[in-house]
Amino acid sequence: MTYRRSSILFVIALLVAAACSQPPPSGSSQTPQTTGGAASTLVWYADTSDLISLDPAVAYEFTGVLLTHNAYETLVKFEGADLATIKPALAQSWDIKDSTSQWDITFKLRSGAKFASGNAITADDVVYSFQRVLKLNKSPAFLFTDIAQIKESSIKASDPSTVVISLPKTASPQGFLAVLTFTIGSVVDSKDVKAKETGGDSGSGYLLDHSSGSGAFVIDHWTKNSEVQLKANPNYTGSPKPALGGVLVKHVPESTNQQFALEKGDADIARNLGAQQITALQGKQGVVTTTGNSLQLVYVGMNVTVKPLDNVNVREALRTAIDYDGIVKDLFKGGAKKVQGIVPAGLAGYNESTPFQADVNKAKSLLQQAGQTAITLELLVPTGPAPGGVAWADLAAKLQSDWKNIGVTVNIKQTTQADLLGTYRAQKGQLVMILWGPDFPDPDANVGPFTDYAAKSIAFRNGWDDKTIAAKGRDAALITDAAKRSAAYKEITDYVLHNGPYVVLYQPTEPFGLRSNVKGFVWSPMDWTDFAAISK
Amino acid sequence: MRFLGFLLRRIVGIAAVMIGVSVITFAISHIIPADPVAAALGDHATDAQIAQFRAEYHLDRPLPEQYFIYATGILHGDLGKSIRTRRSVADDLADSFPATLELSFAALLISIVLGVPAGVWSAVSRGRLPDYVVRVLSLAGGSLPVFWLGLIVIGLFYYQLGWFPGGGRLDTFVPPPPTRTGLYVLDSIFAGNLEALRSSLVHLVLPAITLGYFSTALVARMTRSSMLDVLGQDYMRTARAKGLREPVIVLRHALRNALIPTITIIGLTFGSLLSGAVLTETIFSWPGLGRYATASAVSLDFPAVLGVTLLAAVVYPVANLVVDVAYYWLDPRIQHG
Amino acid sequence: MGKRTPILREPLNVVALALITAFAVCAVLAPLLAPYDPLAQTLSSRLEPPSATHWLGTDSLGRDIASRILYGARISLIVGVVVVALAGVFGTFVGLIAGYAGGLADEALMRFTEVFLAFPPLILAMAIAGALGPSLTNAIIAIAAVTWAVYARLARGQLLSLRRREYVEAARSIGASPGRILGRHLLPNAIAPLLVQASFDMGAAIIAAAGLSFIGFGAQPPTPEWGVMISEGRNFISTQPWLSLFPGLAILFAVGAFNVLGDGLRDVFDPRLRRAG
Repeated sequence: MTYRRSSILFVIALLVAAACSQPPPSGSSQTPQTTGGAASTLVWYADTSDLISLDPAVAYEFTGVLLTHNAYETLVKFEGADLATIKPALAQSWDIKDSTSQWDITFKLRSGAKFASGNAITADDVVYSFQRVLKLNKSPAFLFTDIAQIKESSIKASDPSTVVISLPKTASPQGFLAVLTFTIGSVVDSKDVKAKETGGDSGSGYLLDHSSGSGAFVIDHWTKNSEVQLKANPNYTGSPKPALGGVLVKHVPESTNQQFALEKGDADIARNLGAQQITALQGKQGVVTTTGNSLQLVYVGMNVTVKPLDNVNVREALRTAIDYDGIVKDLFKGGAKKVQGIVPAGLAGYNESTPFQADVNKAKSLLQQAGQTAITLELLVPTGPAPGGVAWADLAAKLQSDWKNIGVTVNIKQTTQADLLGTYRAQKGQLVMILWGPDFPDPDANVGPFTDYAAKSIAFRNGWDDKTIAAKGRDAALITDAAKRSAAYKEITDYVLHNGPYVVLYQPTEPFGLRSNVKGFVWSPMDWTDFAAISK
Repeated sequence: MRFLGFLLRRIVGIAAVMIGVSVITFAISHIIPADPVAAALGDHATDAQIAQFRAEYHLDRPLPEQYFIYATGILHGDLGKSIRTRRSVADDLADSFPATLELSFAALLISIVLGVPAGVWSAVSRGRLPDYVVRVLSLAGGSLPVFWLGLIVIGLFYYQLGWFPGGGRLDTFVPPPPTRTGLYVLDSIFAGNLEALRSSLVHLVLPAITLGYFSTALVARMTRSSMLDVLGQDYMRTARAKGLREPVIVLRHALRNALIPTITIIGLTFGSLLSGAVLTETIFSWPGLGRYATASAVSLDFPAVLGVTLLAAVVYPVANLVVDVAYYWLDPRIQHG
Repeated sequence: MGKRTPILREPLNVVALALITAFAVCAVLAPLLAPYDPLAQTLSSRLEPPSATHWLGTDSLGRDIASRILYGARISLIVGVVVVALAGVFGTFVGLIAGYAGGLADEALMRFTEVFLAFPPLILAMAIAGALGPSLTNAIIAIAAVTWAVYARLARGQLLSLRRREYVEAARSIGASPGRILGRHLLPNAIAPLLVQASFDMGAAIIAAAGLSFIGFGAQPPTPEWGVMISEGRNFISTQPWLSLFPGLAILFAVGAFNVLGDGLRDVFDPRLRRAG
C-alpha cells in the first residue's frame, strides 16, 4: 500500500506525458533529415546563446551573423581576412557617380546567379531585400538609416540586372560599400519570402529559422538552445564551391567542455577557448590551435564630467601608469595586440603609435602638475570573460594594482554587461572598462563614435564634447582620396591618443582550437568565416 | 462531495500561492536600476528603436498596470515575450521544460534505486562497516556542492576514462526522435528508435548521477532512520518470536512501513531538484529550464525570469496534488474516514 | 549528566565539532595564519602544483591557494552566520507573531510564508541577485530571503504546541504580560528545533553562496570565496585539477561538519522534547 504512492507518481507522470504528447508534426523542421554522416559535416562548438534570429535583416549578434553570412550572398564582399579591398560578389561591377545633390551607385548583377530554390536572382530581389530591412527597422537597420542615410525610395531596379542606390551627399559611398559587405546587405529570394509573409512581418517569422538565399549553405534546422545545422547548397552559383556536406553548430557554453570535446574528436572546431585552454592544448595529438584577428578594442572610458578626470594631465597620467606589455605577455600569453589608438589594426587609418608603457615617475609628475595626488575612482567592470579569454576581473585587478603604484585608488565594481551598458549610456560611470567593435569595416565606424559627442555613442558616454575633433572626424569620413584620408585619420588618432578620455588596452586576437585534419579555416576580422573554404 | 471540497480547497490554495509568487517575482524584477532594454538591443540601438521596444514590452506603463497586463495574460496562457530571445516565454519554457523534467525524473529514479537499498543495508548492518560507509557517503551527499561534483564527474568519466559523453542530450549525429513528450527516452520508445534511445540514456547518466547524489543521500538517510525505528518496534519482536527469518522480516514488514516517510521525502526533493538542475545543466550543456533561468537572470530578462519562477513554483504543489488525488481515490480509508 | 555528554558520545560528532572549531579559528585568524596575501599575484609562479613553498599550489594568477582558502573560510563563516541570523531572526519573529496572534493575522502571515516556501531556492536567489547586481552582499540577502520561511513555520509550530502548557496558563493567571510570556517561557523552549535548523542552514548557506558565485551572481573575482575559486579553476580541470579540488574539499568538510552538528543536536533535543511532552 505504501509503495503505491511512488509508483502512482510515476504512472501518472507517464500518462500525463503521453496525454500531453502531440502526434509528430508532418514534414516540419522538428524532424531533421540525416546529417550526411560524420565525414563531411564540420562540427563547430560555440556559445550560441546570443542567437536570436537567422533573418539577415534582424541578425546582429555574432552567432546570427556567422550563420547568415554563410547562407546568403551580398552585392560586394571581402575575401577571407583581407579588409582592404572590396570584391564583387552578386554584383559583378559597380559605379559611383557624383550627381551633385547625391551619390548614385549603380550595381550590375552577376549573370546566371541563382537562389538555392532555383529562382534566378534579379534586381527586384535586391530591392525587396533592402526595403524590408528598412521596414523591419531592427538592430542592424541603423547601418542603412543612419550611416548610409537611405530610404526605401533610394533603392531602385532600373532593369532586371541593374540596381541603383542613391545616397545623400552627407553619406560616404565607400562606407556604404563596406556596409553592404555585412549580412544586412544579404539578398533574399523575394518570390519565396513574399509567399511566406504573415501578418505583415515581411517574412521575418519564416526567416527566423529558415534561409532563403543563395549562399554556399542553407539552414537545415535550428533546434533552439541546442544546435543549428547547415547543409551544402547544391544550386550554389558562386565560388568556391563548398567541400563540406554540412556544418553543425552546437551550443556548448562551457569552454572546458569545448576543450574536452575537441581533444576527444567530438568537435572539429572550438570557438570559445580561453588562453588557458589554448595552452593546455599545445602538443596534444590531433589538435592544433590558430588565431584570427578581430577588429575589437578593449578600453577604459574616463568620464570627463567627473573630477579630476576633466584634467587632461590626470588622464594622461592614468594612461602612462599601465603595464601594457605585461597585460599582453602575461595575461594573454601573446594572444592580444598592443594597440593604443582608437582605430584597430586591419583598417585603413590604423595608427601604430604606442607611446604608453608603465612609467611610474612620469605618471606621478603628471599628477603633481595637475595638483592631484590622492585620487579615488570607481572602475565599472563586466562579469565573465573579456575578449581574448581572460576574465574581466583579472584584467581589472591588474589595472587596479598598476594605478595603485602611482597613488590612485581604484575600487572595482562588477556588474553584468547589461547593467554596465545601462549606466554607461546614462553617462553615470567614472571609469568604465568595456570593449568596442566597429559595425562596418571602415575607420569612421570607430572614429565617429569615439570623437563625435553628437553621435550619442562613446564620446557622449564619457562626456567628451570636443567640437573641433568631432568636425575633423566627420570631414575625414567623406574624403575619397585614400592618401588624404589616411593623413587626416593620423592627425585625429594622434590627437585622441593624448587628449581623449580613453585608455585603449589591447586589440584581442581570437583563439581557435581545431582538429588537425581541418583545412582552409580562415577567421575574418568581421567576426565570421567562410565555411565554403573549409575541408576536413 | 467531500472530495470536491478537498480538491477545490487545494486548488484555491495553489492559486493563492501562485498569485503571491507572481507578485513577489514581479516586484523583484522591477527594482533593477539598469534598463534591460538598452542592453538587449545592444550598443548601437537608436533612441527610436529603444522606445519602440519599450512600448512593445509595456515598459512605458506604470508598474501596477504592467502587472495587471501580465496577470490577465497568464489567464490566456500568455506569459509575455522574452527580452533576450524575442520569443514568447511560453514557447521558450515549452522548449526547455521537458529536458529538465527528464533529468529530474532520472535523478529521482536513481535516488530511489540507489538510496532505498543503501538505507536498508545500512540499517540492517547497524554499527558495522557498511553502515559507516553509507552514512559517510550520505553525509557527503548533503555537503558537497553539486557543481563541484559535476566538474569532477565530467573530468573523470568523460575526459579521463571516456566512458560517458560530456554534455548535451544526444550524440552529435543522432537526430532527436519525433517530439511527442519532449523526453527523449520516452519519445525514442514511442518511435521505436533504438539508436536515439541508447544515445539519450547514455547522455543522461552523468548529469542524473550528479543531480541525484543529493537526493540519493537524503533518501538513504531517511530510509535508514525509519528502518531503525521500525526494526526496534514491538510487532517486529513478535515476528521474530514467531520464527520468521530475518530477510523475510526485513522485506515484508519493516520495509513497507519504513517507506512512508521516505516517500514524503521523495516528494520534497523533487522541488529541490529544480534548483540543483540550474547548476548541473550549466556544466553538462543540458538545454533545460535551469540553463534558461541562468541566461535570463544574467540579461535582466524579467519576463523570462518571471515565467521560469512561476513554472518552477507551480510544479511541486501540482505534482503533490495529483498524487494526493490519486491516493484519495485509491485508499478507501481516506474516502470514508 | 549535562547536555554535553550525549552529544560527545558519538565519535562523528566530536570530529564535527573539531572541524567547526578549526573552521572558525581559520576564519578569525586568517591574516595571522595565511603565509601569503590572498590577492597577491605573482605571474611568474602560476599554476604550480602543491609544493613546500605553496602547500596547496598556486592558481592562474600565481596566488597562493592555501592562503585563499583560509580567507575564504572567513567569508564563508560570515555568510553562514549573517544568513542564519537574518533569516532566523526575521523568520522566528514572523512565526511567533503569527502563532501568538492567531486568527486573520496568522492566516495572512502563513500564506505569505507559504509563497516563499514555494519558490525553488536557487531560482529565487538568482532573481534577487540578478536584480540587485552581482555581489556577495546581495547574494547574502538573496539566500536569506529563501531561508527565513522555514523558521517562521517552525517557530509558529513550536509556539502552538507549547502555549497549551500549564505554566503558560499559570503565568497568565498571575498577570504576566504577553511579552513576558513570549520572552521568558515560550521562546527558550521553542528554540530547540530552530537551533537544529540553523545548524543545517549554516551549511546550506555556504553551499548556496558558492553556487551563486559559480554562476556569476555572488562574490566576484578576485575575492577568495570558495565558489569563486572553483569557478576560476573550472577551465583548468584537465591540467591543474587542484585549483577547483581544494576549495571544493573545503566546502565539503565545513558543510559536512555543520550537518553532523545538526544531526547531533537533533538527537540531543528530540528525546528531551519527547520527555517534556
